[in-house]
Amino acid sequence: MTAQPRKNADRAPMLVYKDVRKRYGSFTALDGVSLHVNPGEVVCLIGPSGSGKSTLLRCTNGLETLDGGEVLFEGKPLPKSDVEMRGVRQRMGMVFQNFELFPHKTALENVATGLITVKKMPADEANRRAMALMAKVGLSDKTANYPSNLSGGQQQRVAIARALAMEPHVMLFDEPTSALDPETVGEVLNVMRQLALEGMTMIVVTHEMSFARRVASWVVVFEKGKLLEEGPPTQIFDAPLKERTRDFLSHLGWDG
Amino acid sequence: MDLDFSPLLDSWRFLASGLGLTLALSAAAVLCSFAAGLLVALGRLYGPRWLSVILVFYIDSMRAIPVFVVLVWIYFAVPILTGHTFAPFWAALTGITIHVAAYVAEVVRAGLTSIRRGQAQAGYALGMSTAQVLRVILLPQAIVRMMPAFGSIVSVTIKDTAIAAVIAVPELMRQAETLAGQTYRPIEIFTAVMLIYFVIIFPITRLIDRFYGRVAHLGRS
Repeated sequence: MTAQPRKNADRAPMLVYKDVRKRYGSFTALDGVSLHVNPGEVVCLIGPSGSGKSTLLRCTNGLETLDGGEVLFEGKPLPKSDVEMRGVRQRMGMVFQNFELFPHKTALENVATGLITVKKMPADEANRRAMALMAKVGLSDKTANYPSNLSGGQQQRVAIARALAMEPHVMLFDEPTSALDPETVGEVLNVMRQLALEGMTMIVVTHEMSFARRVASWVVVFEKGKLLEEGPPTQIFDAPLKERTRDFLSHLGWDG
Repeated sequence: MDLDFSPLLDSWRFLASGLGLTLALSAAAVLCSFAAGLLVALGRLYGPRWLSVILVFYIDSMRAIPVFVVLVWIYFAVPILTGHTFAPFWAALTGITIHVAAYVAEVVRAGLTSIRRGQAQAGYALGMSTAQVLRVILLPQAIVRMMPAFGSIVSVTIKDTAIAAVIAVPELMRQAETLAGQTYRPIEIFTAVMLIYFVIIFPITRLIDRFYGRVAHLGRS
């Protein structure tokens, strides 16, 4: 039962996961996950720690290899060769929980480095582009700062700009606000909400239920490496089909 | 006991030429061993399995053999084995480089592996190759983190050049021995040599530490 038609269901999906499996030793991180993401959708992956959400995200851009199943990106399976995989990664932006800004580069250099190193763009053009993205995330006055001189929220906004610089077709967010002080969470979520409004396809692993409730077009609940339930936020948060979805949400203090 | 420093005043040019050679040998040894050590570390971390086995054996050997023995072996044994004689300076440079490079390799390896995995992953996520990740992201941070250890290696390398005296490289220590033998003033001359080494090395290690204090934040991810 879906309350409303899924966004852009008439278009070819951006990402398709088919029976994806991943093990770490004896621990099964992903136990046959199948789902898809349409262009322009904001898909939030929620669920307890260790339920496989982050692993699925990392399998999407090849930071982790699959033990079974397959991932299709824009209709094609993820390539096996390293060179082709690099091409795919340029079309996927990734934002990490710990920002992972490069500490030896200024904020602007962090944003421009992908353009210069990977896309071989001339430095002045790359810097112009980086400048525009720094403005977009509201940090025009911090371009010369090193990451060590930025707050967590500012660092994460630079990291978003760095990923956007490559003009990705999809953005992958791996718990982007989990390492932040509560007072800076909002500024990061605002940037993400703005991106969603612009039509960016986004997959967001998050524990921010109010963000998922308001911004997601589709919510996927994970449990023990399996997909427990998926649906529009109204279904997941207001009328979950599975008792265990309700349990998980009430555990977080979500009361609908 | 009466001290007589006049031999130093009379023969300072003789010692100065030794000092010049000490500095040249030190600079060459530092450059060569840093370059070689970097290559060894990269080969060990990123090379094929057989290569890293060989390199680990090399590193373990060099840590277990005195630099004095390596130097003497290269100068006296290699010519017998190969039929080619080494000029003393080149034998000394080769011996010190082979020895110090092993320590440099360990420092570089420790520096690279101390950087958390997410940094490399952030580079890969942008579409970088392993070589680009290494050059643009990991090595610049590793070099910053390695600086204090590099400072000690530089000072050890300069001090190790004194061992070249045994294979007749006319560097500072060798010239001092010669002068002491000629003038019968070992106390004055060796004291002067001691001071010269100190005056060269002490500021270098202090400068490296000072510089590290300034840039340490660039290696902190």
